[in-house]
This record gives sequence, structure tokens and C-alpha cells, in this order.
Amino acid sequence: MKIRVAAVGDVHLGEDLRGRYRGRLDGIGERADVLLLAGDLTRHGTPEEGRVVADEFRDLPIPVVTVLGNHDYQSDAADEIVEVLRDAGIQVLQDESTVIECGDLRLGVVGGKGFGGGFAGKCASEFGEPQMKAFVRHTREISELWHKALKGLDTDHRVVLSHYSPVKDTLAGEPLEIYPFLGSYLLAEAVDAEGADLFIHGHAHSGVEKGLTPGGVRVRNVALPVLRRAYAVYSLGAEDPEV
Amino acid sequence: MSHEASHDVAPHHDAPHYDAPHYVAARVQRALAADERTYELGIRVDIRGDQLFLRGEVECEERRHLVAAVAGETAPGLKVHNEVTVVEVRGPGEEETL
Ligand SMILES: [Fe+2]
Ligand SMILES: [Fe+2]
Repeated sequence: MKIRVAAVGDVHLGEDLRGRYRGRLDGIGERADVLLLAGDLTRHGTPEEGRVVADEFRDLPIPVVTVLGNHDYQSDAADEIVEVLRDAGIQVLQDESTVIECGDLRLGVVGGKGFGGGFAGKCASEFGEPQMKAFVRHTREISELWHKALKGLDTDHRVVLSHYSPVKDTLAGEPLEIYPFLGSYLLAEAVDAEGADLFIHGHAHSGVEKGLTPGGVRVRNVALPVLRRAYAVYSLGAEDPEV
Repeated sequence: MSHEASHDVAPHHDAPHYDAPHYVAARVQRALAADERTYELGIRVDIRGDQLFLRGEVECEERRHLVAAVAGETAPGLKVHNEVTVVEVRGPGEEETL
């Protein structure tokens, strides 16, 4: 028994791309049990773009779960976008969890957009100006919520869905100088504390697909420019991966 | 260089010091990220003499042209070389077993 998780991020849809994604999703019901979207659904974060996203991903044969990305906040209309997506039957996670029934198995998904700050030994800390403290506090509070959400999740498999990265591995190819804006090790720390089968993220368009947290959780950067395919499919709980 | 001598090398009005290629490139990059026609954060901008090079990837042909247009407006007088490519998206491909 296995669960097949399809995932893609950073589709950055807008009116100019309307109808373009839908065709790529043909047959997804035969390939996967759930589709996870890793944020940056839009380019400007307008409600109009939110409606394009809703129309591309509505009424699929499998459940769709998403988080928002930084672009989806650009027009201060994140709440409206969330509403538009939910009306289309798409689940939006904002630092919370959901359970999806896949046949006899239950998949727990914890998710939110995440945030930056950098990686252990080379990161920002809650010190100095209020702006600096607020920046780092935001990430810390998110990771605490994820930790709590994972703790309360008793399912066969657990996946974390984020926009920002928990590790540097999947950022390879991005300029080192912007790492603190691409993710935070606090996200990995929270997940390693409770364990998960997979950590999905986007945001790093120039990064690479595969990485690992310090605790051994598989990390996959599914940003569309990285994948260069409609979506990736990750199979959890298959008998023996080597056979 | 002493402060007193600075009038000898003071920038002329037609070539202000903030137009050093370094700053122009940064300004173009900022414009590409902030202009509502583009909002592209991942475009690399390089200036060599009067040539401006754009590299990176966008989702469609129209966005590719907009990137060049915004860059050209932000750095008038430079010749724009648009080396930005459109991401080609293939089918879903094979599943990975974890
Ligand atoms: Fe993105
Ligand atoms: Fe992003």
C-alpha cells in the first residue's frame, strides 16, 4: 500500500497563462492520490489571478491542497485569494494540518508559507531593531505552529508543505547572498523534532529538486522552473524502493 | 585622494556617478522585481559598456518581452540583449519512490 503525492510550486499564473496549466493535469487521477501546491500560485497576488488559479485547479479527480507564497501576498489580497481557492474546493493550509483519506491509508499534511532567516550558524537572530526581531519572530512562530500541528497528527504518513525552504541543499544554484530570504533552518528543526516522510517546498526557482534535513527527512523543491515538468510524483510507503 | 582634489574628478551632469554600470544593473534588477508588468525576481542583469544583458527564465513569451521592455525603459541608451528563456514544461514523468 502506498500513497502517491503529486506536487508543484511557483506556477505564477496570471490572465496571460489562463487555460495553459489545465491541460497538463490530464490523467493526474491515474498518477497520484493528492496534489500539493507549494505557493506562488500567482504573480501579483491579485484576486483576479487567484480566480485563474482556482479555475486551473478546480474539480480535479484528486484532492488539491495548497499554501500561499510571497507573490500571493504582493497585493494585500491574500485573504480574498484564500476564499476564492476554498470556494473552488482547494484546501489552503495556513500553519495548520489536514488529513486526506487515500484508500485505506491516511495522509497528514501540515503546511503554511513558511518564511526566511537563513540557516544554522549563518542566520538572523531576534536581536536589535524591532524590524529585525519581527522578521525572525515571524519564522519562529511559524515553526512552533508546525511543530504543534505535526505532534497532533496521527496518520500513516506525514508530509510538510511550505513555500520557503528548510535547508540549503535545495538552494544550490541560487546566489549565497540571498539564502536568508529563501528559507530558514527553524522550519527543518520543527519537522525533525516530530518526524515526517517528506518536506515539499518551492520559492527557489534556481535551486535543485532534492535535499535532506539534518534529521533525515527528504526535502523536495518543486518550483516549476526547477522541475520543468507539470508536477512531480513522490510515492510514500512502497514495499521496497530499490526493487 | 584628498577631499580638496575632488573637484578635478567631480562627475559631470551628463555622466553622474550613480550611473556606474554596477548601480544601473541594480536599478534594472529592482525595476524588474517591482514593476507590475514584470514582478520577476530571478532575472540576472549584467552591463558591459553600452550593452545590457538579461538572463533567466520566465513562464511565457509575453513575459519575456515585458522583461526586455522594462529593462530598456529603466536603462535608456543601453542596447538590451534579451537572453531570457521561456521555461519548457514537460509531462509529469516518472514517480519517485521514497
Ligand atoms: Fe516563485
Ligand atoms: Fe516565492
